[in-house]
Amino acid sequence: MNRTGFTTTIPLEILLAAGRIPVDLNNLFISGGKSLELIEAAEAEGFPRNICGWIKGIYGAVIESGIRELVAVTEGDCSNTRALMEVLSLHGITTVPFAYPHDRNPNALRDEIEKMMAHFGVDWAAVNRSGERLEAVRKKIREIDRLTWEEGLVSGEENHYFQVASSDMNGSPESFEEEIDSFLRETSSRTPYRDRIRLAYIGVPPIIDNLYPFLEEHEARIVFNETQRQFSMPYGIPDLLERYRAYTYPYDIFFRLADIKLELEKRRIDGVIHYVQSFCFRQIEDMVVRQQLSLPILTLEGDKPGPLDARTKIRIESFLELLGERI
Amino acid sequence: MRIGIDLGSRKVKFALVHEGLVVRLESFDTLSFYKRFGRMEGDDLIFDLPATGLFTAAELAACSIVATGYGRNTLNLKGVKVISEIRAHVTGAFFQTGFRDFTLLDMGGQDTKVALVRNGRLQDFVMNDKCAASSGRYLENMAAILEVELSELSSHWEDPVRLDATCGIFGESELIGQILRGHSVARLCAGVNQTLVKRVIPMLKRFPSDMIVLTGGVALDTALVRLLEVEGFSVTVPDSPQHNGAIGCAVID
Repeated sequence: MNRTGFTTTIPLEILLAAGRIPVDLNNLFISGGKSLELIEAAEAEGFPRNICGWIKGIYGAVIESGIRELVAVTEGDCSNTRALMEVLSLHGITTVPFAYPHDRNPNALRDEIEKMMAHFGVDWAAVNRSGERLEAVRKKIREIDRLTWEEGLVSGEENHYFQVASSDMNGSPESFEEEIDSFLRETSSRTPYRDRIRLAYIGVPPIIDNLYPFLEEHEARIVFNETQRQFSMPYGIPDLLERYRAYTYPYDIFFRLADIKLELEKRRIDGVIHYVQSFCFRQIEDMVVRQQLSLPILTLEGDKPGPLDARTKIRIESFLELLGERI
Repeated sequence: MRIGIDLGSRKVKFALVHEGLVVRLESFDTLSFYKRFGRMEGDDLIFDLPATGLFTAAELAACSIVATGYGRNTLNLKGVKVISEIRAHVTGAFFQTGFRDFTLLDMGGQDTKVALVRNGRLQDFVMNDKCAASSGRYLENMAAILEVELSELSSHWEDPVRLDATCGIFGESELIGQILRGHSVARLCAGVNQTLVKRVIPMLKRFPSDMIVLTGGVALDTALVRLLEVEGFSVTVPDSPQHNGAIGCAVID
């Protein structure tokens, strides 16, 4: 088996150049149909209750799927990943660390990329070729995103799905591209949404599974999925190093906010949902987000996979009401 | 004529309002109310309001009903208009206080809501999440541990014993430890009230206003009001804080 997992978005170009099947372990965990069991199994093995559900879920997914090698992002994402690597190494799993430098230093990032290339035995020419291949798919994902906010033809959840899946292209750029092509054909015959409220979703992808449909029942549609969009390398930058320096997610919150502010304006957003994962350091960044954005913000916290609970529904409905009164 | 119903986690509250005047306020324990007067019909929750004896047949015939509360998202209420809790509480606060600019602090059986109101409009709000250790239920538990009535617990604010547990259940054993140290019941009660203040201050500081309107059952805790004042907040408790949401339902446009 030549599957290689990773804990958050990494230069996918390298894995594809090396002929590996990329597996975003987050997607594997959340879409496998038994995410809650995976977390419970990890807790039973000793993972603390007050640790992020994604870390426990990834652990469970790796063990269950039999993946033998993974790239673990140790800087620029959750620092719990380091301990996750250590625990997984006890199971004989090969872990390759990858660090996004906090200051976006190009030399430091180049070193990290080349270290990873050396591990997988690929050169720049091969990596750039797979970059071109991926750009063809990413371009189509950008079109899905445009159809979401500009044409109103794509739901918030579909937008989420295609962008979030772009981190590993569902394991195969070819079949994923076919799926995208067929989706794009289907959207051309749709009637545009008539939204009352246009929302932005910022923060890590939700662990909650019915947020988007719940919002759309209330005529509120998410037309900007911040992090998911970042996974699709949205700027079309030809140079790989610059592509992953422009990618905002692993760097500081102010860099992310610069992108967020532009998109909020461009996409005519009425309100922002800031999703934070329980026990995540990004909960602290909510303070910065609230101070820096002028639109109304609802901060939602998710812990374990599953549908929205009654309390969160109340908060969302009240938020939509508040926005409805302002519009 | 309208009936407002607030389905809380501990009490179901009713307000009957006619021509801008509150005619009657009632309440039931939530569990016994659901058991005695509620039933499911498909996905709809039906309340047998005539059987409660709270309203006359003529009143029920003449009234429209607006409801809010915890139950409303898991259950459809047949024949009842449902509004969000935050809207109900803010509307109730307008009606009861006449203020247009304030921070609403609603402390119920499980929920603590803080809402910023400017120029008579809701600007933003926060709610407790994951933890209900700043709630009425917490006060009830602590009163039970101290073997005092809620009215006794709510009367002490001076020289509070310091209590630090994050969890409302661990807080019980912490309190027991302090009892063994021989602190007076008055100081322990004050300590419990002080823990509520510590838990709501981060939410209140998020939405600073010259005036806090305090509602919900916990607003009956006069020591809490005093301790908030000690922290520098000006606090108004409307005449019927516990029925504020039900009143809001009964008067909303």
